Amino acid sequence: MKSILKSKEMSIAAIVIALCITLTFVSPVFLTADNLLDVLKANSVIGILAVGMTLVIITGGIDVSVAAVTSAVCVIIGKLMQVMPDHFSSLLLLFLIAPLLGILLGAINGVLVAKIRIPAIVVTLGMMSIINGLVLYITNGVYLNSTNFPKVFIQFANIKVFGVSVIILIFMAVALFTWYILKYTLIGREVLAIGGNKESALRVGINFDKVQVFVFSYMGLLAGIAAIAQTAYTKSVDPNGMLGLELLVIAGVVLGGANIMGGRGTIMGTVLGVLLLGIVQNGLILAKIDTFWQKVFTGCIILLAVSYDHIQYKRSQEKLAKIEVEA
Amino acid sequence: MSDYLLQMTQISKTFPGVKALDDVRFEVKKGEVHALIGENGAGKSTLIKILAGMYEPDQGATFLFEGKDAQINKPIDATLKGISIIYQDLSLFSNLSVAENIYIGRDSGKKPWKKVNWNEMENVAKKALQELEFEIDVQTPVEKLSIAQQQLIEIARALAFDSKLIVMDEPTSSLSAGEVEKLYRVINKLKQRGISIIFVSHKLKELFAVSDRFTVLRDGKYVGTYDAKELDEDQLITLMVGRKVLYEKNTEKGLAGQTLLELKGLTKAGNFKDISFELKAGEIVGITGLVGSGRTELAQAIFGVNKPDSGEMTLNGESIQIKSSEHAVKKGIAYIPESRKTQGLILRQSLTNNISLPILKELRNGFGLIKRKKEVDLAKHYIDTLDVRPAHPHRAAGDLSGGNQQKVVIGKWLSTKPQILIIDEPTNGIDIGAKTEIHKLLRKLAAEGLGIIVISSELPEVLAVSDRILVMRHGKIAGELDIAEATQENIMNYALLGSKASTLKKNVQASKEVSV
Repeated sequence: MKSILKSKEMSIAAIVIALCITLTFVSPVFLTADNLLDVLKANSVIGILAVGMTLVIITGGIDVSVAAVTSAVCVIIGKLMQVMPDHFSSLLLLFLIAPLLGILLGAINGVLVAKIRIPAIVVTLGMMSIINGLVLYITNGVYLNSTNFPKVFIQFANIKVFGVSVIILIFMAVALFTWYILKYTLIGREVLAIGGNKESALRVGINFDKVQVFVFSYMGLLAGIAAIAQTAYTKSVDPNGMLGLELLVIAGVVLGGANIMGGRGTIMGTVLGVLLLGIVQNGLILAKIDTFWQKVFTGCIILLAVSYDHIQYKRSQEKLAKIEVEA
Repeated sequence: MSDYLLQMTQISKTFPGVKALDDVRFEVKKGEVHALIGENGAGKSTLIKILAGMYEPDQGATFLFEGKDAQINKPIDATLKGISIIYQDLSLFSNLSVAENIYIGRDSGKKPWKKVNWNEMENVAKKALQELEFEIDVQTPVEKLSIAQQQLIEIARALAFDSKLIVMDEPTSSLSAGEVEKLYRVINKLKQRGISIIFVSHKLKELFAVSDRFTVLRDGKYVGTYDAKELDEDQLITLMVGRKVLYEKNTEKGLAGQTLLELKGLTKAGNFKDISFELKAGEIVGITGLVGSGRTELAQAIFGVNKPDSGEMTLNGESIQIKSSEHAVKKGIAYIPESRKTQGLILRQSLTNNISLPILKELRNGFGLIKRKKEVDLAKHYIDTLDVRPAHPHRAAGDLSGGNQQKVVIGKWLSTKPQILIIDEPTNGIDIGAKTEIHKLLRKLAAEGLGIIVISSELPEVLAVSDRILVMRHGKIAGELDIAEATQENIMNYALLGSKASTLKKNVQASKEVSV
C-alpha cells in the first residue's frame, strides 16, 4: 500500500517543491524562514480542519459546516474569555470547552447523516446556515476584541518553540494524532475499509452508522481545536472571518489526493495539499498579483486536480467492466 | 455425526410478487465439491445469499450447519461460523493491503480504539498465503493485483477464518486458462483438508472437471441432486431446462420485408466480437445467451451508446455509424432498456409526460412552448392502441402494474416512429398473463412492419416471440436458429457449450433415464 500512495503524495510533494523553486526566483523574500513559517501559520487552521475533512471524505461524505462550526466555537470562547479571570485555569477550561462544543455539533451532523440517512451535504448545509445565522444574532456581526481576553491566553498564543508558533505545533500534533488513528486503530482501519468498499465492509461486520457518527464527531473535535488556533492567531473573534473557508478546506483535501467519492485519502497528502494552496497564495502575493486572481488560480488548480482524478477513476472502471471474449 | 456439513431443507424465499425459491433442499457433504447449477434466474444467487446471511428465508426453513441449527442473521455470522463466500465481483478492499484484506473482519465488534497489530495481521496473512503456495508481499495494495491473484486473496481470507465451507460464485469468469488450472489445484488442496466447496458456474466443462455432485435448480424449485459420475453434459442441460411450457412457441412467420439493419463483423474489445446478422422489416429476431455474454452491450452498440471498434453497420442499405442515442432515434432506432423503473419511466409523472418525452421538440408551438392538447392526444392514441389500463393519460406511471408500465414504455418509443425497436428483457418482473400480452403486442407491431430485436434470458419467451434466434456466448454469436428448428435444448447447448447440440433424440432419451 505504501508505494502507490506514496507515489501520489510524492507527486504532490514534487509540485510543492517545483513551486517553491520557481517562487524563490520570483521573489527573494519567499525562501526565508520567516516567510515559510508565516505561510505555515496562516494555513494551520485550514490544515487542522482539512485533516478532519480527510476522514469524512474517505468515507464518501462531506462536511460543509466546518467553517461555521469553528466560527461558533470561536464566538462562544470569545464571549467566555471576556468574562474569564486572568488565571491559568481559564486556559484549561477553554481547552476543555472548545473541543467538547465541536464534538457536540459534529455529532449532531453525524447522527442526522447516519441514523436519519439525510445526505451529508444537506445536513451540513443546514447546520452551516443555522450556525451562521445564530453567530450573527449573538454578535451583531461585531468583532470581539482581545483587550479584555485573559492575558494567559495572549501569552499562550505567543508561545514559540525554536521559533515555531504554537499554532503550527497544534496543526502538526493534530496531523500526527490523526495519522496514528488512521493507521493503528480499529476505527481508523474501518474508516478506510468503508471508503474502499462499503458493501464488503458491511459483509465483514463493520458498523457503518457508528463509523459515520465517529468521522463527523471527530471533524467537530478538530473544528473545536481549530477554533482555539484561529482565536490564538487573530487574537480576536471576527464573526464573519471564516465565511467560505470550508471550500479551501475541501480543496486542500482534494488536492492532497483524496477522492471526493470516497475510499482514498491520506493525512500526509492533505497536509501537502493545504501547503500547496498556501504557497500558491503566498506566491501570488509576493509576485504582486491582484488578490482576486488568487481565487481564480485556486479554483483552476482544484478543477484540474479533480478532473485528473475523475478521468483516472473512469478509466479504472472501464477496465473492470469487461466480458471475456473468446479469441 | 452425519457426513453432511450443510443441510438446508424447505427453503423458500418470497419477494413481493415473485417466489424466488420454492421448497428447495440443498445438502453438502464434508470435503466435497458441490456444484449448484441452473439457468439465469433459477434461484442460485438467492440460495447463496440466504446461506451468506444476506437474505432471511421464509418461515419453515431448516438450516443445519455441522448438524446444529445455524443462526445466521448477518453476513458476519456466516463468516464466523466458517462459511466464506467468494462473490463473482469479489469483495476486496482495493485501497487496503493484502494483509489487511485477509485479516479484516476478525476485530469486528471490538473496541474502536483497539490498537491494530500490524505484525499479527501480516503473520496471519502470510500463513494463509503459504498454505496456498502463493508468494506475494503482504503489504501490496490489492488494486495492484490481477483478478486471479485477488481471488487467491479471497481464498486466503477464507482459510485464515478457518472456513469449513467456501462458496465460489462463477470463480473462473475472469480467469485465463492457465489460471483456471491453478484454481483447480487449489480447490483439490482445500478438498484434501476436508473443506467443502460450493461451486456456482455456467461452464459445464469445468463443473465436470471439479465437482463431485450437482444440485440442479429450475425456476426456484429443486430438481435434484446427482452424482457427477451418473450424468453427462447433455443430461445436465435437459435437467436445467426441464419441460416447462409457459407459452406457446411462435408459429407465425413474420413478413420479412426489406432488410432494415445489417451488421457485418461488428467488434468491440472486451464486449463482443465479429457480430454479423440482419434484421428485416416485420421480423422479430430474438437474442439470448447467458447474462454477461455481451447481449446488452451489442444492443447498446446498435443504439449508439457503446461505440464498436470495428465492423460495419448498414441501415436501409446505407452504411452508417451511429454517433449517439439522439442520432439513433433520429434514424428510427428505439431501444428499451432492461430496467423499466430506473431507465425507462419517470414513475412520478403522468403517462402523458412519459409518452411525449422523446418527441417534446416536435410538440412545440411557435413560441417554443409545448402544445398540451396535442401532447395529451398523442398519449391517448398510444394508450388506446396498446390497451394500457387504467386508460387515463393523467395517472402517474408508478400507479400502473408492471405489464402496463411496459406498454407505456413501448408507447413512449413508438411515438418516435421507429423502424427498428430493440427491447431488452421485455417482460422482466411482470406476471405471466401480462407477459403473454406483451408478446402478442410485439408480434402485432412486427406485423405492422416494425423490425424488432428482443433480448431475453427467458428461453420460452424467446421461443414465443421470435422468427429467428441468435444465441450469444462469450461475446460471439454461437449459433443462429430458425424458429422452426429452435428448442430450449439446442439454444442452451449453444449458450453453454458453444457448439451445435448433440441430437435432440439423445436429449429426450437422457431425460427419460434421469427421472426426476
